[in-house]
Amino acid sequence: MRRLLYLLREAVANVLTNRTTTLVAVATTAFTFACVGVFLLLYVNLKTMASSLEQDIQVMVYLQDDLTEQSRIEIEQQLKIDRAIASLTFVSKERALADFQAQFPSESRLLQGLGQNPLPASFVITLAAESRSSDAMRRWANRTQLIPGVSQVQYNQEWVEALAGIVRYIEVAAIIVGVILSAASVTIIANTIRLALYSRREEIEILGLIGASTTFIRVPYLLEGAALGLCGSALSLVILKGGFELFRHQIHSATRFLGVDALLTFFSFDMCLVLMLVGLFLGCAGSFLSLLRFGEGRA
Amino acid sequence: MIQLFHVSKYYDRRPALSDVTLEIEKGEFVLLMGPSGAGKSTLLKLLIGAERPEEGQILVQGRSLSKLRPSEIPVLRRKVGVVLQDFRLLPKKTVFENVSLPLLVQGASTTEIRRKVAEALRAVGLDHKKDLFPPGLSTGEQQRICIARAIVNGPIMLLADEPTGNLDPDLTSEIIELFKSINARGTTIIVATHDPNVLAQVNRRVITLDHGKVVSSEQGAS
Repeated sequence: MRRLLYLLREAVANVLTNRTTTLVAVATTAFTFACVGVFLLLYVNLKTMASSLEQDIQVMVYLQDDLTEQSRIEIEQQLKIDRAIASLTFVSKERALADFQAQFPSESRLLQGLGQNPLPASFVITLAAESRSSDAMRRWANRTQLIPGVSQVQYNQEWVEALAGIVRYIEVAAIIVGVILSAASVTIIANTIRLALYSRREEIEILGLIGASTTFIRVPYLLEGAALGLCGSALSLVILKGGFELFRHQIHSATRFLGVDALLTFFSFDMCLVLMLVGLFLGCAGSFLSLLRFGEGRA
Repeated sequence: MIQLFHVSKYYDRRPALSDVTLEIEKGEFVLLMGPSGAGKSTLLKLLIGAERPEEGQILVQGRSLSKLRPSEIPVLRRKVGVVLQDFRLLPKKTVFENVSLPLLVQGASTTEIRRKVAEALRAVGLDHKKDLFPPGLSTGEQQRICIARAIVNGPIMLLADEPTGNLDPDLTSEIIELFKSINARGTTIIVATHDPNVLAQVNRRVITLDHGKVVSSEQGAS
């Protein structure tokens, strides 16, 4: 217990001895973590948005005009047993016309001029969650298109694929930026710990002389690195949250009636904890690197 | 207790110790004499595992130091007290904290630490200064604190490298008397020095080194 208290006291003493260096290290680490965080936030929000849009995407299966009622029922039964479909609604020609007139009353004159109802009957389909990816959706559409009596299968394919592409790019960018900036954070913390090691090298030599184990000598510096990483990541979350709220406020003002700001989400509490743990781990890694370079011979 | 067989140590291909063979018995008080660069400090460094010999073998209590794993070196050092010319005390820690360090690294209990530190400080006559900081002490007192730190965990041997190098003749006598009383309790003591005052006061075995070689090993009168 006394030994643990000593190690903790030494870690605090290390931080206090190199106050300015520690503050600079925490601030720089926070900034680099915040840069990674921006990409992560972008990724998380686009991913949420993409899955929300995928849920809203409905596929229209248009039927041929000359289809008999029997054939329509057969198609409906065939679609109902399809596992890729979560729900379907039949929209008759009459209902399609009524909907069009309700939605576009000023354009309904155009249809009256044609004499007969040109709008086809259709099934409005919501696909099951596992079939909402752009690839699965394309495969399903191609297959359904071949059912006799189906004239066309329509969905907003380009939009779904473009969104999936953007999410993929952001994912890759987040990983690359994350790796580069994490390495930068480790280097910053490693340098801070190296300064602490050099400023206390005489003490380290004494501890070595009196029989302190390598672990005993290293623990205060590992704790210091962990604390730097933890503080850096916590501060970066504060910066990110501030920036995020500011951005949401701006978006709210700009798109007041669209409700886009309601779609934006910050990291969940669990995610914040994970990010702080990552900071702590990177801090430990930085310390460990410096301790390795400082050398066991000295310790 | 300590045996060296044909030990050689080189720094940049220059021999610091060359083919040294000697034996030191348990409870002996040995002076390592010789001019600067004779190899006295190198020999002490080898005995605490701070350096490894290029040739030969060193046995301490029958255990070969060459075969020690890095993790075993701290265990060896806990059995050895070290006193240095420049004291090497931590200025921001009290006398009590400085002396308690060897016990702390071994994981001794608070009660044991208090008891043993008090004993060690009494042995060097500085138990009333336990709450002071080293910079507030005289050089003689600092060296005595250093000795208290070296003996606090009851080492089997005490190695001192030029322990009187920074002290005047009166303080030198004080330190030598302290070493004698520690030796009287059974601790093997090896003092590396080129101070003739020390030689005059210690009539024990004197091993003389020159250019890394043992040139003589003579038993004193006592």
